[in-house]
Amino acid sequence: MAAFLIRRLLQMFVVTIVAALLSYGLLYLVPGGPVDALLAERQNSGQNRINQTDIQRVQQRFDLDVYLPFRFTRWLIGWPSGPLFGSVGADWQIGCQTPGQVRLVYPDGTFELVEEGCADYLTLAELEGRRVSRGVFFGDFGVSQVILRDRPVSDLIATRLPYTLSLMGASILLAILIGVPIGIYSAVKQYSRFDYTMTTIAFIGSSLPSFVFGIFAILIFSILAQRAGLPFLPPGDAVGVRDYTIPWIGTVEAGSFLDRFLRFLMPVSVLTFINIAGWSRFVRGSMLEVLQQDYVRTARAKGVREQVVITKHALRNSLIPFVTLLAGVLAALFGGALITESVFNWPGLGRLFIDALGRNDYNVVMALLFINVVLLLIGILITDILYTIVDPRIRLG
Amino acid sequence: MTATTTVVPGDETSRAPSETQWQIVIRRFRKHKIAVVSLVLLLMLVIISALAPVIAPFPRDAPNLQTRFVPPFTVDSQGNFRLFGTDHLGRDFYTRLLYASRVSLGTAFFATLIASTIGILLGMIAGYFGGWVDIAISRTLEVVATFPTLLLLLIMSSILVQNINSIPIPDFFANFLAWIFAVSPREARIIFAVILVLSLFGWTGTARLMRGMVLSVRENVYIESSRALGASNVRILGRHVFPNALPPMIVDFTLGINATLVAESALSFLGFGIQDPTPTWGNMLSFAQSYMFQHPWMPLIPSLPILFCSIAINYIGDGLRDALDPRQRG
Repeated sequence: MAAFLIRRLLQMFVVTIVAALLSYGLLYLVPGGPVDALLAERQNSGQNRINQTDIQRVQQRFDLDVYLPFRFTRWLIGWPSGPLFGSVGADWQIGCQTPGQVRLVYPDGTFELVEEGCADYLTLAELEGRRVSRGVFFGDFGVSQVILRDRPVSDLIATRLPYTLSLMGASILLAILIGVPIGIYSAVKQYSRFDYTMTTIAFIGSSLPSFVFGIFAILIFSILAQRAGLPFLPPGDAVGVRDYTIPWIGTVEAGSFLDRFLRFLMPVSVLTFINIAGWSRFVRGSMLEVLQQDYVRTARAKGVREQVVITKHALRNSLIPFVTLLAGVLAALFGGALITESVFNWPGLGRLFIDALGRNDYNVVMALLFINVVLLLIGILITDILYTIVDPRIRLG
Repeated sequence: MTATTTVVPGDETSRAPSETQWQIVIRRFRKHKIAVVSLVLLLMLVIISALAPVIAPFPRDAPNLQTRFVPPFTVDSQGNFRLFGTDHLGRDFYTRLLYASRVSLGTAFFATLIASTIGILLGMIAGYFGGWVDIAISRTLEVVATFPTLLLLLIMSSILVQNINSIPIPDFFANFLAWIFAVSPREARIIFAVILVLSLFGWTGTARLMRGMVLSVRENVYIESSRALGASNVRILGRHVFPNALPPMIVDFTLGINATLVAESALSFLGFGIQDPTPTWGNMLSFAQSYMFQHPWMPLIPSLPILFCSIAINYIGDGLRDALDPRQRG
């Protein structure tokens, strides 16, 4: 077990570094990147034309004048932030502030300016005093650049986290409470009418794209219900801005508990339904497999009551593979249901990711991606350990 | 492993020994009524979308502010009959839907084709050769599998689509894609970027499945005898391993098309995939959502094809699974 844990933790460390490299590289190595986007925005806003100082300022802001390996370590662990040990290497060149220009003259007399070498190097001493995060590795994701300008990314995540946690927590819990019994009952009554109905619903439910499902829910429970004069659900957002009147219920005060609850209902139901569709199928399959095992036949042959056979012998064993599904739950809890949150305008982390990506707020995007990968890895580790607990036949090694 | 070798005495398959393997598969598939209906309807959709430029009644993106939000099955103020109505810019929904089917279905098909090819090749190599090749491929698989796919899809797609001009796509290729999708070469570049992104993450499941299949196939005596007769690895892989590992791959490919179709629609729906004015079901739905409070019929137009296709493809996959490997029922 100890050897397994050590090996697995090492493996996780490597994957985390790869993920960090990847998420950093993805966003900063592409042509264009943050500078072009920001400068284009400034240019289009028509305030003033961009000059060399603007470009330099933006480059400094994003550390783009620092050479790539150092830029990455500054992002990952916040190092180097100045001369080493306070004084060593103050004049070491670790970046280039202004590229050198070379005049390339063609034989026919025309020329073009080509960037080559460096006219103004960046030294370690000049890095001192520049804003640097303590490093992603230590939980400091830097500051948001667009959505909440200059506020730490962690603040942004902290304000959105409760929304995602409540949404995902409720839907996962409900899905387990409803989906697992459905799966078991379907398996026990295989080929019954209940089984056929449920497998068909689950089949369609799990092939339905969640955004189509969400839009249909809004269409039916908000728009059409309201038009028909029936009680309706508010179509989106977590908190209302205006009071509204619902038939039979009365006026709902914006921001009240009832308002929040009504807005909570639809996204939770959609997510719950999708999860039930997937999980009940899974539980049904694993239960069917267990019901064919010898020990179940033995129990029946011994004359154990069918109810006891199912709850004691079959059920517990059929839930073992279910543990693997829970591996993703941790990451899902955090990452939220991106698409469902978008459809319902739910201000969770999934929406945050979409907003940040759409508005080129790279630090936020990288933070969410990085945290998600780490949580997925932790989820897998927990699953492996849980496996040995629920199924003693499995040994880690 | 193949359908012919799974003949069980007393099974109806043993009734007609003169049938070829594929005739048996087709006969079994035809028993799955919903799958057959799905296949026929889907093929009709494919044919209609292939004929999009011929049968489309209006230009694809000609905005017309006089005919915005015309409801389906009505005649607009200019006397044109609008089968599926018009969108927020007054463009004909039926016309755009025809082109969108071509783009959405085509993107899903080609992305899955690329992903499956990569997956099958890597899985075959890993399973057949074993040793360090297997370890390298399997570890890569594990690492790729731990990535949050949707987030990466969104990031990569957003980056590529934003910097579409910096991706080197040869002109002739862009023109070829433009011809296939009935779009302009510039739009074809974006479609190609999205295909690339989608195929980049779609191969892991296929590779794992193929590796497992090859591991079991290669233990068969006919592989050993083939090797004893001096057949090369390439010949063994191509003549014996691949055909015998194929049936589950066909099912996997079918279901993969559905997954890619949904992923592409989601990307376009969220605004990071194929961009307007190129119509796809996803981006049409995204616009429809903004106007659904005033015009509740709008989201139905692009979402019904998505619904139909994903359910139909799933049923076809189900039917194929029954037809190709009857033991895998469940």
